[in-house]
Amino acid sequence: MLTINLIDIASARSGDKNNVCNIGVMAKTKEDYQVLKKHLTADLVKAHFKGLIKGKVDRYEWDALESLNFVCHEALDGGASRSLRMDTLGKNFSSHLLRMELEIDTIA
Amino acid sequence: MSKVIRIAGAQGFYGDSPLAAMAIAMEHGADYLMHDALAELTLSILQKDKLKDPTLGYARDIEVHARTLYPMAFAKGIKIVTNSGGLNPASAAEKVKAILEKSGIKGIKIATITGDDFLERFSELEQAGLKLENLDNNEPYFPAKYPVTNANVYIGAQAVKDALDQGANLILAGRVADPCLALGILAHEFNWKIDEASTQEDFDRMAAAITVGHILECGGQASGGNTYSEWPMNYKLSNLGYPIAHVKEDGSAVITKLKSQGGKVSRNTVREQLVYEIHDPSNYITPDVVVDLTNIKLENIAEDQVSVSGIKGKAKPEKLKLNIGQMEGYVTEQFFFFSYPFAYDKIQMFIKAAKEIWAMLPVKIDEMRFNIIGVNGLHEDAVDMPTADELNQRSELGLRIALKHKDDRSGKMAIQGIVCLGLNGPPGVISVPGWGNTNRAMLSLWPTLIPREFVKPVVQIISL
Repeated sequence: MLTINLIDIASARSGDKNNVCNIGVMAKTKEDYQVLKKHLTADLVKAHFKGLIKGKVDRYEWDALESLNFVCHEALDGGASRSLRMDTLGKNFSSHLLRMELEIDTIA
Repeated sequence: MSKVIRIAGAQGFYGDSPLAAMAIAMEHGADYLMHDALAELTLSILQKDKLKDPTLGYARDIEVHARTLYPMAFAKGIKIVTNSGGLNPASAAEKVKAILEKSGIKGIKIATITGDDFLERFSELEQAGLKLENLDNNEPYFPAKYPVTNANVYIGAQAVKDALDQGANLILAGRVADPCLALGILAHEFNWKIDEASTQEDFDRMAAAITVGHILECGGQASGGNTYSEWPMNYKLSNLGYPIAHVKEDGSAVITKLKSQGGKVSRNTVREQLVYEIHDPSNYITPDVVVDLTNIKLENIAEDQVSVSGIKGKAKPEKLKLNIGQMEGYVTEQFFFFSYPFAYDKIQMFIKAAKEIWAMLPVKIDEMRFNIIGVNGLHEDAVDMPTADELNQRSELGLRIALKHKDDRSGKMAIQGIVCLGLNGPPGVISVPGWGNTNRAMLSLWPTLIPREFVKPVVQIISL
């Protein structure tokens, strides 16, 4: 096994729809995308946010863009205007996700 | 040569800078400026303006645009399509007309699009037996739990096309769904069907147009702004060129920007905007068409030029989305900063004293939150806290206090109540800004669906 930093193989952008936050994760290369597809699961994403995401996380594979889209339910403390957070819109869910360390097979 | 229509993403939000749009108008870099001014909560914010002054309720940056941008655009024959009309398109049009007339501008048609506002139509919906179930949790809306601030349904592109067909130079719409602004423009130019669309060809090109609209709707976010994909962003940010789509009759497009401006358009910047605020890429639902982006093809074809094709469409949804804004109470926020030494211990001491003071005062606080700035301000509990010893070595730490309360007095009293800690509390506390912030309204959204039959968009034209 090998540990890699997500930020070395991907970028990300997140945004809000009411209490739902989506995080689009874009692989840097086609090979990186295969690594993401295999290892970056919805469960890992949910766990990485340690309780900030109260609901389920759906993962969509977007092969044409070498991207995964994580749709995180009940993730924004009730939604932008009801939230007591500073980042009411979840714009930095992307930043936080990119801190993740991913355990991968040595041959992806 | 086949016809190409150029649409610029001229505005990403209410309050965006007009400079990029002005550069595009000056160079005649587009045939249309598409302005999206309405985020999910913007209409609730505009309602506050309207309650204070019934002639308000629109995105007020159009007043600046009417003085600066619109005359430049009209001089070049550029048309402007925006949903900045918000809750009051008619008043927005009157305001813009007055400003343009002062500048001596003539021969312009301003169109308004209304029919999205359901604030006065709740009894109609209730009498029709609609439950208005919440899209997120299926709870029925009636009986309403909170006062309503606004209720607007997302309407589609047909009214935009109709207004342009009638010769409008400027459209000030209400809650037309953001990407539908682009579809309306393209349907007008290429004479596409929208409401009567029935063939796969109709659906596919509509879906392509919606995708163009989605790429453009956040302005600079598609052309090198707010991006990790192009980090470390080796291009100019101060005059970021906004995205411009060159669209052909089949809906395929090339995304680009002005050469004279900063920023960057690449497969990466466009891809990053495509994933933004989309859920299932095979079912991106809009009022006019359901878009399947699964097989979208994005290619770098030249510097700052990305081609977009391969988008499929499916028939429109049976129902339209209605967002109901509700007034739930207030949020009060205040920042305090603490210096080395013992900054973290001082914060703990301060919080303890503040809570004790609030217990003695007639304040009702429903929920309170304390963030340490520079540690867990943005990421909350998702990050690991450093040890107290480590935090006490920092040269400074910030404390953010956020309070939820139902009445409009508790927040102010709570903050004023702890002013005394400047003298009575731990040493070296600074409050920013000043002491005693006021509260902001806590608005919530109730998203639901209603049958299309209830929604009849209306186009009106005024000429000058």
